Amino acid sequence: MENLTIAATERSPAVDFDFAAGRLSLKGESYPEDASAVFGPIFAALETFLGAAGDREVTFDFELIYFNSSSAKALMNMFQMLDQAAGAGCRLQVNWFYAADDDTMKEFGEDFSEDLDHVGFHLVAVE
Amino acid sequence: MLAKHYRSFKHDLDQRGIIFSFSGYLSEEILYSLGNALRQKMTLEDANVTTVKKVFSVFVEQAQNIIRYSADKLSGDKGKAIELSSGMVTIGTENDRFFIVCANVVLAADEPRLRERLELLRSMDRDAIKAYYKEQLREAPEEQSKGATIGLIEIARRASEPIEFDFDPIDDQKFFFCMKVSI
Repeated sequence: MENLTIAATERSPAVDFDFAAGRLSLKGESYPEDASAVFGPIFAALETFLGAAGDREVTFDFELIYFNSSSAKALMNMFQMLDQAAGAGCRLQVNWFYAADDDTMKEFGEDFSEDLDHVGFHLVAVE
Repeated sequence: MLAKHYRSFKHDLDQRGIIFSFSGYLSEEILYSLGNALRQKMTLEDANVTTVKKVFSVFVEQAQNIIRYSADKLSGDKGKAIELSSGMVTIGTENDRFFIVCANVVLAADEPRLRERLELLRSMDRDAIKAYYKEQLREAPEEQSKGATIGLIEIARRASEPIEFDFDPIDDQKFFFCMKVSI
Protein backbone atom coordinates (compact mmCIF):
# COMPACT_ATOMS: atom_id res chain seq x y z
CA MET A 1 0.00 0.00 0.00
CA GLU A 2 1.02 3.59 -0.48
CA ASN A 3 3.22 5.18 2.15
CA LEU A 4 1.77 7.96 4.28
CA THR A 5 3.87 11.07 4.69
CA ILE A 6 2.45 14.20 6.29
CA ALA A 7 4.68 17.18 7.06
CA ALA A 8 4.58 18.61 10.57
CA THR A 9 2.70 21.84 11.10
CA GLU A 10 3.11 24.29 13.98
CA ARG A 11 0.72 22.21 16.06
CA SER A 12 0.62 18.75 14.50
CA PRO A 13 3.25 16.01 14.24
CA ALA A 14 5.23 14.77 11.22
CA VAL A 15 3.91 11.42 10.02
CA ASP A 16 6.23 9.07 8.15
CA PHE A 17 4.71 5.65 7.55
CA ASP A 18 6.94 3.56 5.31
CA PHE A 19 4.65 0.56 5.04
CA ALA A 20 6.87 -1.35 2.61
CA ALA A 21 9.76 -1.23 5.09
CA GLY A 22 7.49 -1.75 8.12
CA ARG A 23 8.86 1.42 9.66
CA LEU A 24 6.41 3.96 11.06
CA SER A 25 7.13 7.21 12.81
CA LEU A 26 5.34 10.07 14.49
CA LYS A 27 7.43 13.06 15.44
CA GLY A 28 6.97 16.53 16.91
CA GLU A 29 4.20 18.29 18.77
CA SER A 30 0.46 17.75 18.75
CA TYR A 31 -2.05 20.29 20.01
CA PRO A 32 -4.26 20.94 17.01
CA GLU A 33 -7.60 22.70 17.06
CA ASP A 34 -9.26 19.46 15.99
CA ALA A 35 -7.42 16.27 16.93
CA SER A 36 -9.85 14.03 15.02
CA ALA A 37 -9.05 15.87 11.77
CA VAL A 38 -5.33 15.27 12.32
CA PHE A 39 -5.55 11.67 13.52
CA GLY A 40 -8.42 10.52 11.24
CA PRO A 41 -6.25 9.90 8.13
CA ILE A 42 -3.51 8.35 10.32
CA PHE A 43 -5.97 5.87 11.84
CA ALA A 44 -7.45 5.01 8.45
CA ALA A 45 -4.03 4.20 6.94
CA LEU A 46 -2.93 2.25 10.02
CA GLU A 47 -6.10 0.22 10.08
CA THR A 48 -5.66 -0.89 6.46
CA PHE A 49 -1.98 -1.66 6.97
CA LEU A 50 -2.37 -3.55 10.26
CA GLY A 51 -5.36 -5.48 8.93
CA ALA A 52 -3.10 -7.05 6.29
CA ALA A 53 0.14 -7.13 8.29
CA GLY A 54 -0.08 -10.82 9.23
CA ASP A 55 3.03 -11.85 11.17
CA ARG A 56 5.46 -9.36 9.66
CA GLU A 57 7.85 -7.23 11.63
CA VAL A 58 6.87 -3.61 12.22
CA THR A 59 8.66 -0.87 14.15
CA PHE A 60 6.85 2.26 15.28
CA ASP A 61 8.96 5.20 16.52
CA PHE A 62 7.30 7.87 18.64
CA GLU A 63 9.37 11.03 19.08
CA LEU A 64 6.88 13.41 20.59
CA ILE A 65 7.86 16.55 22.42
CA TYR A 66 4.44 17.63 23.61
CA PHE A 67 0.81 16.66 23.03
CA ASN A 68 -2.45 17.94 24.49
CA SER A 69 -5.20 15.89 26.11
CA SER A 70 -7.22 15.30 22.91
CA SER A 71 -4.08 14.02 21.21
CA ALA A 72 -3.35 11.79 24.21
CA LYS A 73 -6.75 10.23 23.68
CA ALA A 74 -5.98 9.65 20.00
CA LEU A 75 -2.61 8.10 20.91
CA MET A 76 -4.33 5.77 23.35
CA ASN A 77 -6.66 4.63 20.54
CA MET A 78 -3.63 4.11 18.34
CA PHE A 79 -1.91 1.94 20.97
CA GLN A 80 -5.09 -0.12 21.30
CA MET A 81 -5.03 -0.72 17.52
CA LEU A 82 -1.34 -1.68 17.66
CA ASP A 83 -1.85 -4.06 20.55
CA GLN A 84 -4.75 -5.74 18.80
CA ALA A 85 -2.66 -6.27 15.66
CA ALA A 86 0.21 -7.61 17.77
CA GLY A 87 -2.24 -9.97 19.48
CA ALA A 88 -3.21 -11.24 16.03
CA GLY A 89 0.40 -12.08 15.19
CA CYS A 90 2.09 -8.90 13.93
CA ARG A 91 5.56 -8.61 15.48
CA LEU A 92 5.28 -5.01 16.59
CA GLN A 93 7.94 -3.03 18.39
CA VAL A 94 7.36 0.48 19.69
CA ASN A 95 10.21 2.86 20.51
CA TRP A 96 9.09 5.74 22.73
CA PHE A 97 11.79 8.39 22.59
CA TYR A 98 11.87 11.14 25.20
CA ALA A 99 14.38 13.77 26.28
CA ALA A 100 16.26 12.42 29.30
CA ASP A 101 15.25 15.43 31.43
CA ASP A 102 11.58 15.32 30.41
CA ASP A 103 9.63 13.52 33.15
CA THR A 104 6.27 14.24 31.54
CA MET A 105 6.98 12.42 28.27
CA LYS A 106 8.63 9.58 30.16
CA GLU A 107 5.55 9.16 32.33
CA PHE A 108 3.26 9.19 29.29
CA GLY A 109 5.37 6.41 27.77
CA GLU A 110 5.06 4.38 30.97
CA ASP A 111 1.29 5.01 31.08
CA PHE A 112 0.74 3.83 27.52
CA SER A 113 2.99 0.81 27.93
CA GLU A 114 1.00 -0.44 30.93
CA ASP A 115 -1.96 -1.17 28.68
CA LEU A 116 -0.01 -3.18 26.13
CA ASP A 117 -0.11 -6.97 26.30
CA HIS A 118 1.42 -7.90 22.95
CA VAL A 119 3.47 -4.97 21.66
CA GLY A 120 7.18 -4.84 22.51
CA PHE A 121 7.58 -1.42 24.12
CA HIS A 122 10.92 0.31 24.59
CA LEU A 123 11.36 3.56 26.50
CA VAL A 124 14.38 5.31 25.05
CA ALA A 125 15.92 8.30 26.85
CA VAL A 126 17.66 10.70 24.47
CA GLU A 127 20.45 12.81 25.94
CA MET B 1 -2.85 61.07 31.51
CA LEU B 2 -2.64 58.32 28.92
CA ALA B 3 0.86 57.12 29.83
CA LYS B 4 0.13 57.54 33.53
CA HIS B 5 -3.05 55.53 33.30
CA TYR B 6 -1.50 52.61 31.42
CA ARG B 7 1.68 52.75 33.48
CA SER B 8 -0.38 52.23 36.57
CA PHE B 9 -2.27 49.38 34.87
CA LYS B 10 1.05 47.77 33.89
CA HIS B 11 2.46 48.40 37.36
CA ASP B 12 -0.51 46.65 38.92
CA LEU B 13 0.04 43.59 36.67
CA ASP B 14 3.77 43.58 37.49
CA GLN B 15 3.06 43.82 41.22
CA ARG B 16 0.92 40.71 40.92
CA GLY B 17 3.82 38.84 39.29
CA ILE B 18 2.07 38.59 35.95
CA ILE B 19 4.24 37.56 33.01
CA PHE B 20 1.49 37.53 30.39
CA SER B 21 -2.13 38.50 30.48
CA PHE B 22 -4.39 38.19 27.50
CA SER B 23 -7.97 39.39 27.51
CA GLY B 24 -10.23 39.35 24.51
CA TYR B 25 -10.92 37.17 21.52
CA LEU B 26 -8.67 34.16 21.60
CA SER B 27 -7.85 32.10 18.50
CA GLU B 28 -5.70 29.03 17.90
CA GLU B 29 -3.09 31.29 16.26
CA ILE B 30 -2.90 33.47 19.37
CA LEU B 31 -2.67 30.35 21.52
CA TYR B 32 0.30 29.19 19.42
CA SER B 33 2.10 32.54 19.57
CA LEU B 34 1.51 33.17 23.27
CA GLY B 35 2.47 29.59 24.05
CA ASN B 36 5.75 29.95 22.20
CA ALA B 37 6.59 33.25 23.87
CA LEU B 38 5.82 31.63 27.23
CA ARG B 39 8.13 28.67 26.56
CA GLN B 40 10.92 30.98 25.38
CA LYS B 41 10.57 33.22 28.41
CA MET B 42 10.70 30.25 30.81
CA THR B 43 13.61 28.64 28.96
CA LEU B 44 15.59 31.89 29.05
CA GLU B 45 15.09 31.96 32.79
CA ASP B 46 16.39 28.40 33.11
CA ALA B 47 13.16 26.92 34.41
CA ASN B 48 13.54 23.12 34.34
CA VAL B 49 12.11 21.18 31.42
CA THR B 50 9.38 19.50 33.46
CA THR B 51 8.15 22.83 34.85
CA VAL B 52 8.12 24.40 31.37
CA LYS B 53 6.13 21.40 30.10
CA LYS B 54 3.62 21.57 32.94
CA VAL B 55 3.00 25.31 32.59
CA PHE B 56 2.73 25.03 28.80
CA SER B 57 0.38 22.08 29.06
CA VAL B 58 -1.96 23.81 31.52
CA PHE B 59 -1.86 26.95 29.36
CA VAL B 60 -2.84 24.99 26.21
CA GLU B 61 -5.68 23.11 27.93
CA GLN B 62 -7.06 26.30 29.48
CA ALA B 63 -6.80 28.31 26.25
CA GLN B 64 -8.42 25.51 24.23
CA ASN B 65 -11.22 25.29 26.81
CA ILE B 66 -11.90 29.00 26.30
CA ILE B 67 -11.82 28.61 22.51
CA ARG B 68 -14.22 25.67 22.65
CA TYR B 69 -16.51 26.48 25.52
CA SER B 70 -16.66 30.23 26.11
CA ALA B 71 -20.30 31.34 25.96
CA ASP B 72 -19.09 34.75 24.77
CA LYS B 73 -18.50 34.06 21.10
CA LEU B 74 -18.55 35.94 17.83
CA SER B 75 -19.26 33.96 14.73
CA GLY B 76 -19.93 34.69 11.12
CA ASP B 77 -19.11 33.78 7.59
CA LYS B 78 -16.79 36.06 5.66
CA GLY B 79 -16.02 33.78 2.75
CA LYS B 80 -15.07 31.18 5.35
CA ALA B 81 -16.58 30.42 8.73
CA ILE B 82 -14.99 32.44 11.52
CA GLU B 83 -15.62 31.87 15.20
CA LEU B 84 -13.94 33.85 17.94
CA SER B 85 -14.24 33.11 21.66
CA SER B 86 -13.70 35.66 24.35
CA GLY B 87 -11.89 35.02 27.59
CA MET B 88 -8.80 35.71 29.68
CA VAL B 89 -5.57 33.84 30.27
CA THR B 90 -3.06 35.13 32.79
CA ILE B 91 0.27 33.59 33.71
CA GLY B 92 2.52 34.74 36.48
CA THR B 93 4.63 33.78 39.45
CA GLU B 94 4.01 34.06 43.17
CA ASN B 95 5.81 32.43 46.10
CA ASP B 96 8.30 30.80 43.69
CA ARG B 97 5.54 29.06 41.82
CA PHE B 98 3.98 29.62 38.44
CA PHE B 99 0.25 30.19 38.30
CA ILE B 100 -2.14 30.18 35.37
CA VAL B 101 -5.56 31.75 35.61
CA CYS B 102 -8.22 31.45 32.94
CA ALA B 103 -11.63 33.04 32.87
CA ASN B 104 -14.57 33.06 30.53
CA VAL B 105 -18.34 33.30 30.41
CA VAL B 106 -20.24 30.03 30.82
CA LEU B 107 -23.95 29.34 30.42
CA ALA B 108 -25.85 28.83 33.68
CA ALA B 109 -27.05 25.51 32.28
CA ASP B 110 -23.43 24.27 32.07
CA GLU B 111 -22.36 25.53 35.48
CA PRO B 112 -23.50 22.58 37.69
CA ARG B 113 -21.69 20.01 35.56
CA LEU B 114 -18.47 22.01 35.41
CA ARG B 115 -18.63 22.64 39.18
CA GLU B 116 -19.23 18.95 39.84
CA ARG B 117 -16.25 17.92 37.70
CA LEU B 118 -13.94 20.41 39.38
CA GLU B 119 -15.13 19.45 42.89
CA LEU B 120 -14.48 15.81 42.06
CA LEU B 121 -10.93 16.61 40.92
CA ARG B 122 -10.35 18.74 44.02
CA SER B 123 -11.34 15.82 46.23
CA MET B 124 -8.76 13.50 44.66
CA ASP B 125 -5.13 13.00 45.60
CA ARG B 126 -2.32 12.66 43.08
CA ASP B 127 -2.67 8.87 42.63
CA ALA B 128 -6.45 9.07 42.28
CA ILE B 129 -6.12 11.79 39.61
CA LYS B 130 -3.63 9.67 37.69
CA ALA B 131 -5.88 6.60 37.86
CA TYR B 132 -8.90 8.67 36.80
CA TYR B 133 -6.91 10.13 33.88
CA LYS B 134 -5.94 6.67 32.66
CA GLU B 135 -9.51 5.44 33.00
CA GLN B 136 -10.92 8.40 31.03
CA LEU B 137 -8.22 8.07 28.37
CA ARG B 138 -9.63 4.67 27.46
CA GLU B 139 -13.25 5.88 27.39
CA ALA B 140 -14.91 6.90 24.13
CA PRO B 141 -15.33 10.71 24.04
CA GLU B 142 -18.53 12.07 25.52
CA GLU B 143 -21.24 13.32 23.23
CA GLN B 144 -20.81 17.09 22.65
CA SER B 145 -17.43 17.13 24.35
CA LYS B 146 -14.50 18.13 22.21
CA GLY B 147 -12.01 16.82 24.70
CA ALA B 148 -12.52 18.78 27.92
CA THR B 149 -13.43 15.72 29.93
CA ILE B 150 -9.82 14.69 29.82
CA GLY B 151 -8.52 18.29 29.57
CA LEU B 152 -9.55 19.20 33.11
CA ILE B 153 -7.99 15.99 34.44
CA GLU B 154 -4.77 16.82 32.57
CA ILE B 155 -4.80 20.25 34.24
CA ALA B 156 -5.37 18.73 37.70
CA ARG B 157 -2.58 16.25 37.06
CA ARG B 158 -0.02 18.96 36.31
CA ALA B 159 -1.09 21.18 39.23
CA SER B 160 0.91 21.25 42.47
CA GLU B 161 -2.15 22.14 44.53
CA PRO B 162 -5.88 21.48 44.13
CA ILE B 163 -7.39 23.65 41.37
CA GLU B 164 -9.04 26.83 42.67
CA PHE B 165 -12.21 27.94 40.91
CA ASP B 166 -15.15 30.24 41.28
CA PHE B 167 -18.32 31.35 39.48
CA ASP B 168 -19.58 34.92 39.56
CA PRO B 169 -23.22 35.29 38.39
CA ILE B 170 -23.67 37.80 35.54
CA ASP B 171 -27.42 37.36 35.03
CA ASP B 172 -29.97 34.50 34.99
CA GLN B 173 -28.31 32.84 32.09
CA LYS B 174 -24.61 33.43 32.55
CA PHE B 175 -21.73 33.09 34.96
CA PHE B 176 -18.21 34.44 34.84
CA PHE B 177 -16.08 31.35 35.45
CA CYS B 178 -12.53 31.59 36.78
CA MET B 179 -9.95 28.89 37.47
CA LYS B 180 -6.47 29.13 38.98
CA VAL B 181 -3.79 26.47 38.75
CA SER B 182 -0.46 26.58 40.61
CA ILE B 183 2.61 24.74 39.36
